[in-house]
Amino acid sequence: MLRKWIEVAANRPKTIMLVCAIAVLAAVFQFPRIKVDTDPENMLSPKAPVRVFHNKVKKEFALYDFIVLGIVNTKNPDGVFNVDTLGKVYAITEKIKKIDGVIDTDIISPSTKDNIIQEGLGTISFDWFMPEPPKTKEQALAIRDAGKEHPMFAGSIVSEDDLALSIFVPIQRKDISYTVAQKIRQITDEFPGDEQYYITGQPVAQDQFGVEMFKQMAISAPLAGLVIFILMWVFFKSITLIIAPMVVAVITVLITMGLLIGFGFPVHIMSSMIPIFLMPISVLDSVHILSEFFDTFKKYNNRKDAILAVTNELFTPMLYTSLTSMAGFVSLAFAPIPPVQVFGVFVATGVAVAWLLTMLFIPAYIMLMSEKSLENFGSDHNHQQQNDTKGIINHVLNLTRRVSVGAHKLVLTLTLILVGVSVYGISLINVNDNPVRWFGYKHPIRVADRILNNHFAGTYTAYYVIEAKDKNNAIFIEPEMLRWIEKLQKNLLESGTVGKVTSVADIVKKVYYELMEGDKTYKVIPDTRQAVAQCLIQLENSNTPDDIWHMTIPDYTKGVLWVQLKSGDNQDMEKVRQFVDNYTKQHPAPFDVSTGWAGLTFINVVWQNEMVVGMLKNFLGSFIIVLFMMLFLFRSPIKALISMVPLSVTIVFIYSLLGFVGKDYDMPVAVLSALTLGLSVDFAIHFIQRAIELNDEYNSWTKTAIEMFHGPGRAILRNALVVAIGFLPLLAAPLVPYQTVGFFMLGIMFVSGIGTLFILPAIITVNPKAILAHTDKGIGCKCSHCVLTSLFVGGAAAYVLNEFTAAGWNTITTVSVATVVILGTSCFFASKRKSCFSNKNKGDQ
Amino acid sequence: MLKKTLAVLAAILIPVTASAMTADEIVNKANLASYYAGKSGRSDVKMTITDSRGRTRNREFRILRLNESPGGEQKYYVYFKKPADVAKMVYMVWKHVGTDDDRWLYMPALDLVKRIAAKDKRSAFVGSHFVYEDVSGRAPSADKHELVGEENNAYKIINTPLDKDEVDFATYTVWIDKNNFMPLKAEYLDENGELIRSVEALEIKDINGYPTVTKSLAKDVKRNGQTTMDFENVEYDIGIDDNVFTERYLRRAPAKWIR
Repeated sequence: MLRKWIEVAANRPKTIMLVCAIAVLAAVFQFPRIKVDTDPENMLSPKAPVRVFHNKVKKEFALYDFIVLGIVNTKNPDGVFNVDTLGKVYAITEKIKKIDGVIDTDIISPSTKDNIIQEGLGTISFDWFMPEPPKTKEQALAIRDAGKEHPMFAGSIVSEDDLALSIFVPIQRKDISYTVAQKIRQITDEFPGDEQYYITGQPVAQDQFGVEMFKQMAISAPLAGLVIFILMWVFFKSITLIIAPMVVAVITVLITMGLLIGFGFPVHIMSSMIPIFLMPISVLDSVHILSEFFDTFKKYNNRKDAILAVTNELFTPMLYTSLTSMAGFVSLAFAPIPPVQVFGVFVATGVAVAWLLTMLFIPAYIMLMSEKSLENFGSDHNHQQQNDTKGIINHVLNLTRRVSVGAHKLVLTLTLILVGVSVYGISLINVNDNPVRWFGYKHPIRVADRILNNHFAGTYTAYYVIEAKDKNNAIFIEPEMLRWIEKLQKNLLESGTVGKVTSVADIVKKVYYELMEGDKTYKVIPDTRQAVAQCLIQLENSNTPDDIWHMTIPDYTKGVLWVQLKSGDNQDMEKVRQFVDNYTKQHPAPFDVSTGWAGLTFINVVWQNEMVVGMLKNFLGSFIIVLFMMLFLFRSPIKALISMVPLSVTIVFIYSLLGFVGKDYDMPVAVLSALTLGLSVDFAIHFIQRAIELNDEYNSWTKTAIEMFHGPGRAILRNALVVAIGFLPLLAAPLVPYQTVGFFMLGIMFVSGIGTLFILPAIITVNPKAILAHTDKGIGCKCSHCVLTSLFVGGAAAYVLNEFTAAGWNTITTVSVATVVILGTSCFFASKRKSCFSNKNKGDQ
Repeated sequence: MLKKTLAVLAAILIPVTASAMTADEIVNKANLASYYAGKSGRSDVKMTITDSRGRTRNREFRILRLNESPGGEQKYYVYFKKPADVAKMVYMVWKHVGTDDDRWLYMPALDLVKRIAAKDKRSAFVGSHFVYEDVSGRAPSADKHELVGEENNAYKIINTPLDKDEVDFATYTVWIDKNNFMPLKAEYLDENGELIRSVEALEIKDINGYPTVTKSLAKDVKRNGQTTMDFENVEYDIGIDDNVFTERYLRRAPAKWIR
């Protein structure tokens, strides 16, 4: 059906152009409606239990997302505790209070928080840590000493080494954190001097990532486009002609993004990467056509015949490469992460758009080119006209053929060794993520993160919530409970996993100690709940009477431990959680309690775990889908399996590099698995499909091989070079996920290109007849094929059952084994069918 | 020069002619009416604090008060009855005019008497949205008063603190009943003229011949919460002795006055 359309396109190129132009205009008109969402929390559905809990906890304890402003002074002998710096801190705090979106009443700074201290014999006083900027050195040092004595301040607002002080700025919404951070930067710029200012905190990192991501989009995608353009010019030497793939890429990106925005989906961290994913895919398709067109044009010397011949020849492989890419991405729709679903569906849509455009736009475009511009175009079919690049490519291809066909045993052995080593490398993979690490090492956010976490107890906060199961039990004023919490905190600190933990227990101890005139023996939890309650109510007479409600609630049935970590790595958060789990199992709380975790640091762990595990499952799923597609395409389980070889080698090799190099398996890497799968099967499809067709023609593998390493081989090599080199500039991007994409593109193209050109011919050489035989008959006719297919189905059944049902492992095994046995048996009978024996000679021999 | 003098004179004279009383006189009378009724007094307070999360908590305490002189020194004794964990806790305040108050705290669970350095009269009163000054009164001499008009049979007076650093607001407007000089409502504004806090008398009754607030409400816009106080068993001129308001009686509450 569509093949006819290609003819129509070639006959009526102007109509095609008009349709494209209308589609692009319609898409571009959607752009002003763009909604941007850079909140990683949205990686989880709003209904995800951990998010619901997190929001409940945040609301209940009035906890906010904080921007952390660190002020460091290493030049003054007193560090930041000198008259000048503290004066600046005071003035900066006053200015920050006025920023829109900042919750001024909950800023944590020396001038905004109350302290309880001794003031003469038998007197206690509630007063601000820094009611006004200090005027003398003594006053400045007194602020330092007071801060170090207070559990809320020591290590988090006032550093142990006196060199740093921080202001925690709570914000109403995370999506304004970049704007607020920029305003804070403007404020600190007004106070130059010995001080260095650093801004960090999870929300800033995330929001800033969003901002820079869009900047990167505007730089990286066009830059990759430019490099690809230059490379194509090197290969095809015709500017007019190579504009076509570029136009296809741009139209594909515009239409896809227009659809995404038009349907009202926000552009998320994930979906902002759609253009960079679609670029290589759409270029790949058109380069295949152009490359073949370039090689065969001279043969026909009529562009219409040439392009129709090329599209006819490439129709099936192109359809399948597109379908497999789509399968890889569509499978993301089953990931439990909404932005990943959107991403998967729209990249798949983009692949479809790219395929349609390649099939319709490219022929139309070629038809519209002037005859003149094609005059000197194309490679002479007799290989007489040789330019330098082509000479090298031909040379390389010939060498490749001689090695892969001539020394196929060596190639296969090396492949096996490589796979073995790679599997070992995969076992070294470290699953970990940390949004701050999405910035390059020298990025200001990374630098601030390092420096502040060096001075302080940690800028990453997680909240451990403890709640009495008995709603009338005020456990947070029970001395027994508070002492248990005190021990938990002490053990957590000693475990080295956290920088600081703060709870009501610390506050009670502080008040009690001050009431008892600073006698160290009273730095403990008092003995009765009345005493605890009476200590706590004193804080309600202070200037900041609501502060205590960030740690417990007014009926004292619930409380939260503020856990500060020096790193936002999932692994570190995971360690803390496990430690607390183990500890509470071994030392249960004195009352019946339920517990839970909240906080951005923890939320990240949850969605990243879901993502990594989800991606792995998806990956297996799409692997199976692609396998079945290959089965359908080649109508032979053996061909299907062989076509999966380069892809499998590519995947194990690339992922083993992560293991060997020590790069964490993080969110961007997880997402790239879909791209890897979709792209690396492409070359194999082209290769096998063409090999079968050529073999039909020549009936000789040797001849076929020679021809394979001309047209199709050259297309594959060109493609690999164009995309791999085109994405090289990404390696220099300041954002790590972009570097990762660049690295993967390079890896996918080279390894799957090499894998296809070396491994596939080597495998075919083992038994060319069996592999290249044209299979007209159904799979059912050959018993071995049929049984192999049954095994696929059985495996797929096991996977599906495991994935989408709650069936236990035993049930799954039983069902899948039964499937294989039943199908296998029917295979026996199916292959004895009458219809299989008629014309047997022509079929599989 | 003459013009200037005339202008100043006019500024002083016009409000006087507009109303029979000056702003200062009205404020002084209001201060006496609301905080100095009788020689002494007693009331049981039920306090309901509603926080920004909509959670409420209740407190019950008895206030005993003794005046040294009208508009002058006062002594307060606040004895907690509920919640149970803080029962028998006592706050005692000796209110001074022009200097810091003296404050004491007795914590029965620790059997501990402490003095509290009361630098700040604007800090919260036991976690409520009332501040200490709402309970014991703000000295009229602390502000400049300006009568700006009359609304609903009440004087409307704008008060500007003389020492800005001591307070958490820029100005406050108070409405004072023309008949009995009871303050009906006070609104505290920040430097941008935005409302940050308000205190309102919801119910005023005549008790022993004194107009008495029996229900009042404080709203705090910044903390986003409110507190109501219900005054029960109000009595004036109870004949309480001065020595009840001493440290000695913090540990051993005077049974006669707190039962």
